[in-house]
Amino acid sequence: MRIAVIQFPGTNCEHETLVAVKECGMEGEIFRWNRPEQELCEFDGYVIPGGFSYQDRVRAGVIASKEPVMATLREEAANGKPIIGICNGFQILVESGILPFGDGVRLALAQNVMIRGGEIVRRGYYCAWTMLRHDAEEKRCSGSYILRRGEILSIPIAHAEGNLVSADKRVIERLIDDGQVVFRYCSERGEIINEFPVNVNGSTENIAGICNPEGNVLGMMPHPERAFFAWQLPWKHPRVQGYGPGRIIFESMRRYIEERRL
Amino acid sequence: MKVIGLADGELESSLRKAGIGMSVSEARSIASILGRDPTLSELFCYDAMWSEHCSYKSSRAVLREFLPTEGPNVVLGPVEDSGIVSIDDEWCVVISHESHNHPSQILPNEGAATGIGGIVRDVNCMGARVVATADPLRFGDPYGREASRVRWVAEGVVDGIWQYGNALGVPVIAGDVVFSRCFDYNCLVNVVAIGVVRRDEIIRSRAPPGSGERNYDVILVGKPTDSSGFGGVVFASDTLREEEEEANRGAVQIPDPFLKNVLFKANEDLFRLVREEGVEIGFKDLGGGGLTCASSEMGAAGGYGMEIDLDMLHVAGEFPPEVLCIAETQERFLIIAPAELRERILRIYNEDWDLPNVYEGARASVIGRMTTHDRYIVRHRGEEVVNVPIKHLTGGIRYERAWRPRIRNLLEPDVRMPEDLNKVMLDLLSSPNIASREHIYRYYDTEVQGNTVIRPGEADAGLLAPIRGKDFGIALSVDSNPFYGRISPYWGGATAVAEAMRNVAAIGATPSTLTDCLNFGNPEKPEAFWEFRESVRGLADAAKNLWLKGYPDQPVPIVSGNVSFYNESPEGAVDPSPVIACVGIMKDISKAITMSLKDAGDGVYLLGPRFDELGGSEYYRVIWGVTGANVPVVRFPLERSMIYMVIDAIDREILRAAHDISNGGMAITAAEMCMLSDHGISIDISDLGDMRPDRLLFSESSGFIVEVVDGAEQEFASIARSYNLNPVRLGRVSTGGIEIERKGKMIVRLDPEDARDAWSSGLREAMR
Repeated sequence: MRIAVIQFPGTNCEHETLVAVKECGMEGEIFRWNRPEQELCEFDGYVIPGGFSYQDRVRAGVIASKEPVMATLREEAANGKPIIGICNGFQILVESGILPFGDGVRLALAQNVMIRGGEIVRRGYYCAWTMLRHDAEEKRCSGSYILRRGEILSIPIAHAEGNLVSADKRVIERLIDDGQVVFRYCSERGEIINEFPVNVNGSTENIAGICNPEGNVLGMMPHPERAFFAWQLPWKHPRVQGYGPGRIIFESMRRYIEERRL
Repeated sequence: MKVIGLADGELESSLRKAGIGMSVSEARSIASILGRDPTLSELFCYDAMWSEHCSYKSSRAVLREFLPTEGPNVVLGPVEDSGIVSIDDEWCVVISHESHNHPSQILPNEGAATGIGGIVRDVNCMGARVVATADPLRFGDPYGREASRVRWVAEGVVDGIWQYGNALGVPVIAGDVVFSRCFDYNCLVNVVAIGVVRRDEIIRSRAPPGSGERNYDVILVGKPTDSSGFGGVVFASDTLREEEEEANRGAVQIPDPFLKNVLFKANEDLFRLVREEGVEIGFKDLGGGGLTCASSEMGAAGGYGMEIDLDMLHVAGEFPPEVLCIAETQERFLIIAPAELRERILRIYNEDWDLPNVYEGARASVIGRMTTHDRYIVRHRGEEVVNVPIKHLTGGIRYERAWRPRIRNLLEPDVRMPEDLNKVMLDLLSSPNIASREHIYRYYDTEVQGNTVIRPGEADAGLLAPIRGKDFGIALSVDSNPFYGRISPYWGGATAVAEAMRNVAAIGATPSTLTDCLNFGNPEKPEAFWEFRESVRGLADAAKNLWLKGYPDQPVPIVSGNVSFYNESPEGAVDPSPVIACVGIMKDISKAITMSLKDAGDGVYLLGPRFDELGGSEYYRVIWGVTGANVPVVRFPLERSMIYMVIDAIDREILRAAHDISNGGMAITAAEMCMLSDHGISIDISDLGDMRPDRLLFSESSGFIVEVVDGAEQEFASIARSYNLNPVRLGRVSTGGIEIERKGKMIVRLDPEDARDAWSSGLREAMR
């Protein structure tokens, strides 16, 4: 089982992401953006890690989304292979139109706006540990394949543009109706409160991660690779069987690939 | 340019007209060594290399006299861009510490960003992976006469740090912020970077042996050279004057974290190539003094000469030769490598990492070659524009500066006992110098690279686990208190070392090395030079007397540092600010602890007797508006025992929380341990002697407050006995608020929410 961790100029989370992939028993390598894209087809799954690809020129993720490797990833996604986009990787998937419906750019990850009591209390970059509620059904999505609906994970975010918005209200409705909303920012007890700090970046419906209609492509703003080992967690946060909760995302990917092969 | 035969006045005015900062006598000495009039390019090269920033011409004698730079763990002392100490037989920590004060005052965002950009290059060029930075910041009074400017600077600096560091992908794991009126016109922006490298994979910043005989290539990599930062080091070596602000902006460099990110990855491939080939190369970043500084220092360090052809540089436009020589264009590195690797090196940068397409004009170019003669030669359009003895250029000059004590006539004030200690507590908790740093550190990516174990805000030091499969961690903290330095530069230096070491000990790590970034006024003024000298003496005494744990009588070595003079405006100099960073080694990261109280019922103990030492304290300053005179001193054997005891107790897993006593004294230290905890604290200070309660609670004498695991009191006491210490049991971790009792009377009772509100709003309000 081989996973490609895609590296664009400006990507900065590829090494820890590769560690997470390998720790879950998968083989993997960092795949530089200008390698021949045909070589990508040989992999069983893909992770687009976080960073500032092409310096966020124009808009976060735009330039990378136009690279030839992304056209190949679109084809591999259509073949049902799993893709997980984390942070900037999520932004790239949205800019390439692979998320949410595979038919063009329907969403934006806008600048964070922290709102409490109807007032903007802060804007822009924010790095903090957040609580996520898994809102999809079990086995709905490759990256949360082994999570049950309603499970809560603590995973950190670090971004300036993670505020998911759409000009078309129906896009959000469709995401919710079709069970494409995978993760939402929640309180420690799992409540969805549309106020900072629970809604950490102003995202519509507290959405932190979504999948495509088929469920094999996941995009999420929080960084599971940073919550992989127990020692990475702040002292207060609960461990999951000696590991961090972020491990479940990569473990899910492996299980998804295994079951798809059967 | 004519030097010989000109009268002093004429020479002075012709130097200034050309934009050269050196003195008349310096210009004359150059002409006499060359035996002719120097060219304009030569004068600019010397001006940069002999600037205070590059040559340490005022400071070197003092640093040599006092600083301990050797120790059993030192792999490389302060001779190149970074210092290196060993962690174990295999791995080493690389550390560098710099200031970027003047540029940050003029252009806060770019100035601070360039500071990070420069320091991470210093660490990377030793062959290391850069794993963390720390940012000690000093700003003016956010409520004073220059409030809006101070806030503009503070906000811009924080923006510059996060915009650069986050994009590069290096986490911020430590730092501190102090606001004081003395920084109104001259902020301090220091930055520390650490990296990790295998001992046998260290790359040196010098021309390797044989490189002259075999005419190695000199290869310049990175951004195309432009005129940005032209004269930067000269600007950094002068006093800031408002009327020159426009001109000074041109001396600030323009950094680019995106290009740096790509360069770092390409550099990794370069390091791999030379490892596989078993070839030694020279590798150095281009910082202050630009191409001339990096190339001539590498050549001189190897004992060779070199020839550089400016026509082979990749450039961003047409520039005169002196600009190409000393402009401080960011994101560049210099490689000295044998010709047989040339094609493969160029391919790494120009094809694999595709620099020309990733960033306009960026690439790797062969620009010259090493020679066995002793000259530094630069050609431009076929003409020799520089031809000087290389060691004369890099050797700089030395000044013996005069010093004279600064007399301040500070007295201990006669303050009355406050009626309401609760209010005093809340006022101190919301002081911008004590309040939560969350407003700032949420801008920093503290998690990138996935190595972070303890992050800003959780403890007195940050902790990283940078090597998968290894149990060890690297702790980092920074410290310096300008209010102490104002009263006594000596104790300001000594306490900065002691506190930085206490900070890493408080999480369980053993202090391993120190760096110093020495921020002072104009060294040509005897009072400022005295402050510098006293501070260096103080910090050196502390490093020598606090000992490397396990090696009695051996100092904690100071392996890297930086001197920043001229932190002075017409309003005066900044208070003496020797900023210290301490690296600690944690043998097993699973044993590290934070400062938050963890279990109700655990005992709370005080380590460190209280003395009447409120000079420079937050209590005097915030509550009474006075400075005082009784500055905290470091009692070396006591300090050492306390630090060792805390490390041992954490190693034996009998402490659940520890916090060092500093700003605000023991009462604020105790309160801070509740801020991020679900617990409160209930303590009784009746057994601490007869000092007046306010003095007892707010004196900043050094020490720790620790939470001892319930049932481990005996073991704790026996460790204390072994160090001849007498910890005092203060009380216990509670489920309620913050309560302090004395002789049967409750003198402080704070609701945790009120305390938290005060503490969490103080910095946000100050930076709004």
